[in-house]
Amino acid sequence: MSASSLRIAGVEIAHRFGPRVAVRPVSFDVSAPGVAAVTGENGSGKSTLLRILCGLLRPSRGQCVFEVDGRAVEPRRRRLFTGLATPELSFYEEFSAAENLAFAAETRGLPNPTSAVRLALERVGLTPRADDRVSAFSSGMKQRLRLAFAILHEPPVIMLDEPGSHLDDAGRAVVEHIVQTYGPKSLVLIATNEPREMALAERRIELSGRGLERTA
Amino acid sequence: MPNGGSNSAVAVWSVLRKECRTEWRTRYGLNAALLFAVASLTAVSFAAGRLGNRTDIMAALFWIVLLFATLASMSHAFVREVEARTMLLLRLVATPTEIAVGKLLFNLLFLLVIEAVTVPLFMVLMGAPPVRWGQFLAVLGLGTVSLAASSTLVGAVIAQTRGRGALFAGVSLPLLLPVLAAAVGGTREMWAANSVAPSLKLLGAYAVALLAASLLLYDHLWED
Amino acid sequence: MLWRILIFVWLSVWMVVALLFAPQVPVLHETTRVLYFHIPAAWIAVLALGWGMLHSVLYLVKRDLNHDDQAAAAAELGVLFTVVATVSGSLWAKRMWGSYWNWDPRETSIFFVLILYIAYLALRGSIEGDEKRARLSAIYSAIAFVAVPFLMFVVPRMYEGLHPDPIINNRGKVDMDPLIRICFFMMLIGFTALYFWLQTLRVRVTRLERRRELARGI
Repeated sequence: MSASSLRIAGVEIAHRFGPRVAVRPVSFDVSAPGVAAVTGENGSGKSTLLRILCGLLRPSRGQCVFEVDGRAVEPRRRRLFTGLATPELSFYEEFSAAENLAFAAETRGLPNPTSAVRLALERVGLTPRADDRVSAFSSGMKQRLRLAFAILHEPPVIMLDEPGSHLDDAGRAVVEHIVQTYGPKSLVLIATNEPREMALAERRIELSGRGLERTA
Repeated sequence: MPNGGSNSAVAVWSVLRKECRTEWRTRYGLNAALLFAVASLTAVSFAAGRLGNRTDIMAALFWIVLLFATLASMSHAFVREVEARTMLLLRLVATPTEIAVGKLLFNLLFLLVIEAVTVPLFMVLMGAPPVRWGQFLAVLGLGTVSLAASSTLVGAVIAQTRGRGALFAGVSLPLLLPVLAAAVGGTREMWAANSVAPSLKLLGAYAVALLAASLLLYDHLWED
Repeated sequence: MLWRILIFVWLSVWMVVALLFAPQVPVLHETTRVLYFHIPAAWIAVLALGWGMLHSVLYLVKRDLNHDDQAAAAAELGVLFTVVATVSGSLWAKRMWGSYWNWDPRETSIFFVLILYIAYLALRGSIEGDEKRARLSAIYSAIAFVAVPFLMFVVPRMYEGLHPDPIINNRGKVDMDPLIRICFFMMLIGFTALYFWLQTLRVRVTRLERRRELARGI
């Protein structure tokens, strides 16, 4: 991993899908290295915020700053610097875990796809099942595969959305290990409401959404 | 750049290989398309009987069969991604243009396979007179490029609508009518031993225009 | 309000002048009169198509929903005027050529315009979310923009023409009565004003609808 400096800041970022408010205005400023938790009630827009930060979604309002080595990265190129693991991420069921990751590595243009895939699978403990098709995977194994996908290209920003969902104790240990490995050199964002995962972070981005509350 | 600067050619090639591998493993897309093409071909041939020297009608029927095969199967490449919810994965590893160009190449291959089956079958079943292959393949090739280019862009748009594939045929049709007119014209002239050059020019111009516009528009395909 | 009255008076006056005082064209006889609303309607059908496509491209460049409202309104009004042009033309064709539909180049063009509008509106109807609808339908509109020259000029020319060119072309050679010409151009201006007035109305309605939606959501 290079020692590139990285900063992500939000200035009054807000988003709505039609009439529905997805993210209420939020401002923050975080930079690598470090671990930050994105917290808020269900429906307060944690996942939406992560999609905005990695450039997949244009916010309805506000500014999102994404700087690498002091230079702003336009939304379309942010995916190159970001590893995203979210429950919405699905894999090709007709491919094995290793094939899915190999496809990702090759398409991203990694210099050494094979070893990157092997390393990522090892980190999440999926090596024994590497050649099984994803259609045969349990939800916990799919979650591990998402984590492997996020760290595959050794990105300077890792965004983990509800990383502990579906995971057993060993799986949660994998999450902790990933955060401990990448925290000191990269920026890790964890969207969560789990006290155990929140404890891994030294900073917090609190979303003030009204969550499930019905608004008139 | 620390994270492997993405090389577009590599990404396109990787997407194309992934498409082929998926098709090879599941095969339902190609099987369904081939079955449909052969079924409509059989229906046309059965209903029209042997047309003998009516090559003008034959040219029209040939392109209608091909057009229907396209309309029935070509939205598949993107609808499959949306249904399997793998679009997010794809968007994270490649740019919209790389994804779309990879799919375009796959759609081209897909059509070529369908044509490899339907063309000989059509000629045999309809009792077509000898074909001037050079001219015929030129018309067929340029027509195929236009069909694939239009289907790729419309397919990507249509996969994001509520009805997924349902609107594909209706929305594609206006874009494919120029192809139909020029390709039928070219095929007719080929059998009538006239010059196919005007039709080829038209087909070529349309294919180039569609491809150029597509390359400008691919970038806007996915943003939410 | 002022515009509404002005357009109404203008169109009424020139329609009366056209129907009562303008002479008939030799071959066309009584059917000459179709000229005063058939051709302006066809002109608006094409104008709305261009207006809509322009705003679609502008939306992709600027990402301002106002452009999408313009494009949507243009398509809806375009359908209206296309139907007027097609039906009036078809009735006229029955009288002059003996059948309602002949795949004459201009009939072919207007048919393409109509299915293009219908496909565009069907597409819009099936997309949820303002931004997404705006973006995807603008993409379709832009690719259709490439197809339009082929649909309207190249392909129709491959069929035989029946349309009375001299009257429409005003190449100058064929004598068109000055009064016919004046009435025709005045109707053309009136229809264009009518279209843009309807266009602003439709856009205003869309904006009000969106504001109501937003007010309900918060």
